[in-house]
Amino acid sequence: MGMTTGGVPFSLTRLLIVAGNTFTEAVRQKLFNFLLLLAVALVASAQFFREFNFGSSELKFISDFGLGAMVFFGSTLTIAATAQLFFSEIENRTALTILAKPIWRTEFIFGKFLGVFAVLGVFCALTTLLLAGLLCSRENSLMALHPDAFPGGRIIHYGDLMAMGMLQWLKFGVLAAITLLIASFSNTNLYTVVMSFFMLVICHLQYLAHDTYAQVASLPLRLLVRLLGYVFPNFQVFNLADQVATGVGLDAGVVLRVAGYALAYIAVIGGLAVYSFRNREI
Amino acid sequence: MKFKLLELRPLRVGTVVVATLLVAGWAMRPLENPAWQAVRSGQPAMKLDSLQGALGQGVTVGLLGGFRAIVADFFWIKTNSVWSDNDLPATQTLIKLVTAIDPRPLYFWQNGARMIAYDMPNWRIVGAGGYDVVSKAAQQQIEREQSAVALSNLNEAFGYHPDSVLIYVEMANVYLNRLKDVASAAEIYHKAALQPDAPYYVARIYGELLRRQGRNAEAYAWLKQLYPTLPKEAKDSASGRQPTAKPQPSAAEIEMAMAPVVLERIREIEKELKISKNQRFMP
Amino acid sequence: MTPSASPVAIEIRGLTKDFPLNLRGIKLRAVENLTLSVPEGRVFGLLGPNGSGKSTTIKIILGLLEPTVGECRVFGVPSGRVDSRLNVGYLPEAPYFYRYLSGTELVRFYARICGVPRKRLDDRVKEVIDWVGLSGAAQRRVGTYSKGMLQRIGLAQALVHDPRLIILDEPTAGVDPVGSAEISELILKLKAQGKTVLITSHLLAQIEDVCDRVAILDRGKLILEGDVNELVGQRDRQALIVDPLSPEHLDELRGWLASRGHALNAVEQPRARLDQLFISRVSRSEKGGQK
Repeated sequence: MGMTTGGVPFSLTRLLIVAGNTFTEAVRQKLFNFLLLLAVALVASAQFFREFNFGSSELKFISDFGLGAMVFFGSTLTIAATAQLFFSEIENRTALTILAKPIWRTEFIFGKFLGVFAVLGVFCALTTLLLAGLLCSRENSLMALHPDAFPGGRIIHYGDLMAMGMLQWLKFGVLAAITLLIASFSNTNLYTVVMSFFMLVICHLQYLAHDTYAQVASLPLRLLVRLLGYVFPNFQVFNLADQVATGVGLDAGVVLRVAGYALAYIAVIGGLAVYSFRNREI
Repeated sequence: MKFKLLELRPLRVGTVVVATLLVAGWAMRPLENPAWQAVRSGQPAMKLDSLQGALGQGVTVGLLGGFRAIVADFFWIKTNSVWSDNDLPATQTLIKLVTAIDPRPLYFWQNGARMIAYDMPNWRIVGAGGYDVVSKAAQQQIEREQSAVALSNLNEAFGYHPDSVLIYVEMANVYLNRLKDVASAAEIYHKAALQPDAPYYVARIYGELLRRQGRNAEAYAWLKQLYPTLPKEAKDSASGRQPTAKPQPSAAEIEMAMAPVVLERIREIEKELKISKNQRFMP
Repeated sequence: MTPSASPVAIEIRGLTKDFPLNLRGIKLRAVENLTLSVPEGRVFGLLGPNGSGKSTTIKIILGLLEPTVGECRVFGVPSGRVDSRLNVGYLPEAPYFYRYLSGTELVRFYARICGVPRKRLDDRVKEVIDWVGLSGAAQRRVGTYSKGMLQRIGLAQALVHDPRLIILDEPTAGVDPVGSAEISELILKLKAQGKTVLITSHLLAQIEDVCDRVAILDRGKLILEGDVNELVGQRDRQALIVDPLSPEHLDELRGWLASRGHALNAVEQPRARLDQLFISRVSRSEKGGQK
């Protein structure tokens, strides 16, 4: 990445300054306001499930919808915030003033990334805590109401829930890196958002390429399908704990591998975003 | 030369990006595979062909994208709404659909079977004019039909939850409560009781069902063999507090095991079988 | 490389910049074979109509664009390298900046990016904000600033790390005459401090007052370069400004000149420049932070 030339060494401090500024922008643009909306939606849906007399399975519904909301709103936030925070720099020409300073484009891009990643971290942490709180309070009251439905004590794995929150955060990190990569060469915010959503869907369905490749008859086509499967990260590995309410507990080793998978992808895709951005004429 | 390269810059960048991602995707398989296997093993294969007709394309993509749980929840809520309208065909179809989308939660299987076996006969009989109009024989016929549907659904559940105690119990209850078939119910309770994670009540009920069939000797043997395995209140024995290797059973567990009740049943059977005092079971 | 009499801040040699318009090789040539050097300690004007390649040249100097052909060095360092920008301050054309930051936060942010030491940070930020005359508005969000104030906060961020070279891209575009006079004043102050200033404009008259040396670009090509006095001063002419003369006295003067072999070429009434009139009448109180 050519970080050795020149008399100015790569600086983590500068990277963090850019990240801090990006985070400040997100906060002052009131990006977090919609968290409030999400919270209301979560509480309201939890209330809604009480209508059905699901018994202890009510907790499954609360956790499914909570995680679903987290995935949906989180993905939207990731793409919208990354594209917005990047293009506001381009459109307001602030990128010119920053890049005219003694700063590496690597520092700029990863600074932007880290700022967005911090925003997403706050989002995931608050959503996970809210969901855990909802589940815990409802579990307590259900346990008091129907003690025999909880023969083994609590049924929600709160540790798994926290791990799930973290895995989603990492997944959003990979998605933010992908959005940055697209933004680094695209000309408009809208194109970036649309392409990123498209990529999000592909990364969720990527495994189908692996699954079907064996069934493809012609060899060249089969090879192509196989290669295509490798180009996109597999987002389904982050679904490890989608059954927090009924799951059997997570294997820490697997969680760590997934975390490593995400971080490696963030580094690779972030690096590509830097490469592509260095080639961008601004 | 340099001009040529410059003109191809977007192409060059694109190639580098795709090639790097390809290599990265290949290199990261050791990280991806174990996790992917874990995710896969937790997600039974989807019978898409049976679903595609019932779902829109968007929902199918959602399913494939890993949102089975929430899609199934949505359809379960829908199931509840058609159920409260006593709409038999819709309820039955939706139960099938929900368990096909996400067969993992036992809740869907259990409650689906209950709706089919216990509520639907009622709807059908009321629909045909009520309990006073429909003949007893016809009522029983309806109950047999609905029970068959429920049992076949529960049998299907074993495909995803092999030897699940709760599914056994659900099936046994259909035999017992709907079909009044004590022998079949007992047999299934026996299977359930043999599972390592079976709750204590399952074994007790098996014993009870044996007695109901007059198979007292079998019941006696079963309960005698059961009693020593149950956790009991620690008697303040002379040996005092000896550190034991096994963890002490919790109060709740002791209560659920109901060892004194089991002993009481054993005594009842001994009386019925007229077993002499010195031959009696000595715990 | 080339030893010259005075030290050189910017050295551009044989610079050509093409922008590819599509993949079939159609391209736009923004700058063509430009060779230029900006001596240290001078105010250098890069002039030309819109689209003449001024902004492209500046972006290349700042390393924001890569030259297609040729090279550009800033204080001897190739402009693509990060360290070429260590001693450069840049005010872009019509800057917007981060609207959600206050003036102080904004300048502080750029100061930290430039590596101004932490213990000097607050003092330095306050100093440059005072210097551009914005201390009264320093705590306000940049989003609420007027155009002239934006230019001045932009100047503050360009100067915060005390660079030796300051590049101002159209600093007076869209700014009223009072504002642009103030900017001219600031530029002259910078010159007095020994800084090199590179300034672009398409408003030639304003630049004339502050620049020592100018280069004029047209459609990407350098068409004229030289010291302002050499370029616009007419050495074979002289102007005398006197009290009003009666026609008789004027005739006498003409005769006196003719007897010595000179001609009186023109008699006209000198006019004040309109912008100077404007500045002398318009109050300066509108400017935020003006004492």
